[in-house]
Amino acid sequence: MKTTSDLVHDYLAAVEREASALPAERRQELVADLAEHIEVTRAERPDAEVGQILAELGDPRTIAATALAEAGNAPSWGTPAPAGPPARRGKVHPVVPLLLLTLPLFVTALVPVMDLASLLCGLLRITGAVLLCTSVHWTGVQKTAGVLLTLVVPSTAVLLWQETTIAPAGDTPALVANLVMVAVVAVTAGWLWRTRRA
Amino acid sequence: MEPGESTKQARAAAQLRKGVLEYCVLALMRDRPRYGVELLHALEESGALATSQGTVYPLLSRLRRDDLVTTTWQESSSGPPRRYYALTDSGRAALEEFTRVWPGFRDAVDTFLTSPHLPGTPHHSPGDPA
Repeated sequence: MKTTSDLVHDYLAAVEREASALPAERRQELVADLAEHIEVTRAERPDAEVGQILAELGDPRTIAATALAEAGNAPSWGTPAPAGPPARRGKVHPVVPLLLLTLPLFVTALVPVMDLASLLCGLLRITGAVLLCTSVHWTGVQKTAGVLLTLVVPSTAVLLWQETTIAPAGDTPALVANLVMVAVVAVTAGWLWRTRRA
Repeated sequence: MEPGESTKQARAAAQLRKGVLEYCVLALMRDRPRYGVELLHALEESGALATSQGTVYPLLSRLRRDDLVTTTWQESSSGPPRRYYALTDSGRAALEEFTRVWPGFRDAVDTFLTSPHLPGTPHHSPGDPA
């Protein structure tokens, strides 16, 4: 048989547990407010069952959810559920990261360019990858696949082709390899474009 | 009534309450400071504003952080000391602002809910002047 103070203790512990996402100070304050409420109510209604007083206070989860919502931002208009998605970055149009990822590659793959231009193209593609990852238009899986197929795989392939001897010599294999790479990147960009979220 | 329907109605009431509760709490402190249990009793007696009591404390905590209310401890003749909540100047200003906009808000909602001719709705019944 639980004693009265056990019930109160368990209740406050449940609130504390449910509100674990709150900053410690805020959580202590909430528990102290509720403890005070219970104490005052018991003094004012000595005949009331403590279980009844706790029932009137409400579900610890509801209280904790309200406290979390109040802590999230000033207006109380929000829902008592955990606050919505955090402020998202990436307000750019979805076509921007795709163009940045593809166009510079097409230029470097099909037109012989000088070192500086090639460096610039690389920077543009990395910018495209960053924009893709911070965009709200794709899921995490899509972003990972997109970056892998449009940036990591082609760059690795180019590096291996140029810096090792595993590739066949001659212009024709190089041209075919470039075309394959361009096709992979173009198809990936097309897939990202079609599967983007509004 | 279907359980789904009553849940929906409860949600509508909860949405409404969320918007106005803090101003009702501020209004309760307009004439004198009140302690927490006292505020909860007043809300409970109002009926429509009654809410799970514990959820009012996070609200009071925010009002205090936003400097809309201050708190002071006062001894009581019965039981433990009570924490009294009182309006600050900015709390009073927020309450006055809400008091100013509320009638227009209430009337607009009433108009939408009761009037057969909603403002802005084109109405072309025969015989109506164009």
